[in-house]
Amino acid sequence: MSVNGDAASSGDVLLRVDNLVKHFPVQSTSLFRRSKDAVHAVDGVSLEIRRGETLGLVGETGCGKSTLARCIMRLYDVTSGRIEFDGRDITRLGSGPMREVRRDMQMIFQDPYGSLNPRRRVGSIIGDPFSIHGLGDGQDRKRRVQELMELVGLNPEHYNRFPAEFSGGQRQRIGVARALALRPKLIVCDEPVSALDVSIQAQIINLLGDLQDEFNLTYIFIAHDLSVVEHVSDRVAVMYLGKVGELGGVDGVYNHPRHPYTNALLSAVPVPDPDRSRERERIILVGDVPSPVAPPSGCRFHPRCPKAKQRCVTDVPELIPRLDDPPTHVAACHFPVADGENIADSRPEISAEERVVEGGLVGNV
Amino acid sequence: MALLEVEDLHVSFRTPDGVLDAVRGLSFAVDEGKTLGIVGESGSGKSVSTQTIMGLTRGARVSGEARFEGNDLLKMNAHQLQHIRGSQIGMIFQDPLSSLHPYYRVGWQIVEMIRAHDKSITKDKARARAAELLRLVGIPRPDKRIDDFPHQFSGGMRQRAMIAMAVALNPKLVIADEPTTALDVTVQAQVLQVLKRLQEEFGTAIIMITHDLGVIADVADDVVVMYAGKAMEKADRQTLFYRNHNPYTEGLLLSLPAVGQERERLHPIPGQPPSLITLPKGCPFRPRCPYAFDKCTDEPPLIEVSGEEHVSACWLPTEPKKRQKLRDDRLTTEAASATN
Repeated sequence: MSVNGDAASSGDVLLRVDNLVKHFPVQSTSLFRRSKDAVHAVDGVSLEIRRGETLGLVGETGCGKSTLARCIMRLYDVTSGRIEFDGRDITRLGSGPMREVRRDMQMIFQDPYGSLNPRRRVGSIIGDPFSIHGLGDGQDRKRRVQELMELVGLNPEHYNRFPAEFSGGQRQRIGVARALALRPKLIVCDEPVSALDVSIQAQIINLLGDLQDEFNLTYIFIAHDLSVVEHVSDRVAVMYLGKVGELGGVDGVYNHPRHPYTNALLSAVPVPDPDRSRERERIILVGDVPSPVAPPSGCRFHPRCPKAKQRCVTDVPELIPRLDDPPTHVAACHFPVADGENIADSRPEISAEERVVEGGLVGNV
Repeated sequence: MALLEVEDLHVSFRTPDGVLDAVRGLSFAVDEGKTLGIVGESGSGKSVSTQTIMGLTRGARVSGEARFEGNDLLKMNAHQLQHIRGSQIGMIFQDPLSSLHPYYRVGWQIVEMIRAHDKSITKDKARARAAELLRLVGIPRPDKRIDDFPHQFSGGMRQRAMIAMAVALNPKLVIADEPTTALDVTVQAQVLQVLKRLQEEFGTAIIMITHDLGVIADVADDVVVMYAGKAMEKADRQTLFYRNHNPYTEGLLLSLPAVGQERERLHPIPGQPPSLITLPKGCPFRPRCPYAFDKCTDEPPLIEVSGEEHVSACWLPTEPKKRQKLRDDRLTTEAASATN
């Protein structure tokens, strides 16, 4: 976690996602005709994740961050694009070979209640990966599970307890132990702390950091809490409506956001510090995220963007370095935000119809 | 005189495992036009206390007083309470989807709410008022959207419709129970802005219940920090964030990763909140407190740190210098043990 964005860029690539697309067909109203509509959940995402780094994935509900993660895990079949893990194309791998690959990629889920079977004992839940992959037997397996429990800060004597006997934070530790069982190379953490109370959140975040240092783990860390993502990530990708709007080292993206959406998102995070909270200029975006069934033309953010111009309606912006940014910091915006610029003062220069804003204006924005 | 004064509120529930003391002697006051923030983790009793005041906790054993404009809400019968709920005190809940009836149009629900309290308002007038309210909270084309069903609204719009309903009859107090927890940050910013504007325009007092210290820093004038059914610390916002006394408040603030600050190891509060059925003897925070000493086996009352404006349930010295020294010593020891 201590590795900064630039140092991490020298590491070799563990996972490469190339132009990944995932569309979910919308159910047709007619019995005989297949609907042509689809939810464009992920629409052309390219990413690289390097060994030992943490890539944060942020964005609002429905931006496609969880779908992207599930595509990477091959829990969903992708519509098009390519996923390469550890030098191997896994995009269309069958379930047999895929099972082998999954030893190296594991997932931690958001809900520590829903992701553990309430009728099974904790020891057998954590030992599942061993039995699925036929590793170890009886005593050996139990010893390994108890080692894992100790590693994540659980009492190994609680091997025979049920999930209901554990608190939310402890359950999340069980989830971490299960993900860690086969010593994977990549762990996808899908909102691992958002269901936990703040005092417990910090425990789990520290645990994930310690484990990364110890086992040289690579994380994809999905969260909607931007301060948590800043804390854990080396690099961060900001998603909006199925596309990556901005990607770069965490310091670059947080201190010099180029995409107006990143800028607005960061400014909307409430800071637990009244003085800083008061002096901050808050950018209140108008409206809601448009429907991913018919995403807006050009830049997908243009209907809500305070800096939108005619070009944003017609041309899709490329994800490339903007202004004086290093090649590692890329943004998909025709009119990137300069340092010190206040986009709250900007007014869009496009016609009102193109600013279709379903959520409505707040006040005289 | 404060608009709402809660004094020594106790709420307990009988459960198969024993009696659960959800709120244990809570007192606070809300002034007109001000925002009181109540912050605490799950199970701290922050929601139960306000729900009890509104008569929404059936089957609970309740004692204490909750005087709203001088009248004790806890002594009122169902009929009297019904008259106050909605018209004098509005409520906004966390989950806007389950708080709106899915079968009825949004506008109809607001009209119904207005007419439930005042039958003399005609349906047409109430409808016009509902459209006006929806415009006020930032719903576009309110005269059209008024006939939408809740599922046709987005999460942020539903919450705004809930706010419209809560303020429909110009209540003097709005109780907002985690109103933005289910929303994304950009929508949260919109909703908080709407609440602030309504407060400025109508002088409504707000009780903001949340677990998010960022929201508290943004909107609250005064803050109550709750833990295990008790107020651990009460202070104005600046004091609470910069000159807090209680180790639990300190622990909450230290455990947060802050945007734009040095990345170092977080300081979590060790352990977990106690069970409310088998509370530890003495201070409920004692098992997790880095400063705990022998005196903590006696449960501390709220002690004045500086006047009655800033009180803290903790035996640690109240002199700022002594308290600061303890804190500095703790952080140095922790830093030393982390590097070893």
